[in-house]
Amino acid sequence: MKSWLAFFIPSDEYKEKRMLYFLSEGAILLLLSLVVMVICNQFYPMNTGLALLIPIAIFLFYVMGRYILSGIEYTDIATETAYKKEIKRILNKIGGIVVIYALLYLLIVGFPANNTEWIDFIGLLLVVGVLWFFTSFISLKRSYKKNRELL
Amino acid sequence: MKNNVKLARVSLSLTQEQLATRVAATRQTIGLIEKGEYNPSLQLCIAIAKELNKTLDELFWEVENK
Repeated sequence: MKSWLAFFIPSDEYKEKRMLYFLSEGAILLLLSLVVMVICNQFYPMNTGLALLIPIAIFLFYVMGRYILSGIEYTDIATETAYKKEIKRILNKIGGIVVIYALLYLLIVGFPANNTEWIDFIGLLLVVGVLWFFTSFISLKRSYKKNRELL
Repeated sequence: MKNNVKLARVSLSLTQEQLATRVAATRQTIGLIEKGEYNPSLQLCIAIAKELNKTLDELFWEVENK
């Protein structure tokens, strides 16, 4: 089927079908959240920025959450060796990106001037790194469990 | 959907991964098809049948034993 969405969808047909379901469900939830907010806005006027942010957050969290929990990300991880190897690969990837981001930040923005700026800088890196690892780990664990059951 | 994909694959000494690579699918998708937890498209059914040297009937047609 010809669609520009095909560019963002995996080529494997099972993954493709699941992803299309997640995106469609997310879109319906987004629409419902907009309807709810239009109604709420009649009684309690909302801040425009917040009103725009909430539906986007609902869509992104829903689609990401469903993708992570579905166990379809790591389709070939079915042995303990491959599982451990993948954890190392994830750690290396996240570590590398965190280091590159930190270097680029220091080069472009410059060194943080005071303690608050240092805390903001390191805090952001830590939160992004830990959250990224945590979501990747859950996705890997779910994929591994699902793949083991299919052997 | 019940099918004979696993039997046909094992008889040719192919792993799930090898079959998956040959039909441009993932190992997980092949596993799901073998377990009857995913109904593949006709295109994928034909690709699997060709790789396993079987007809669609032999792989996917349900025959009730009397």
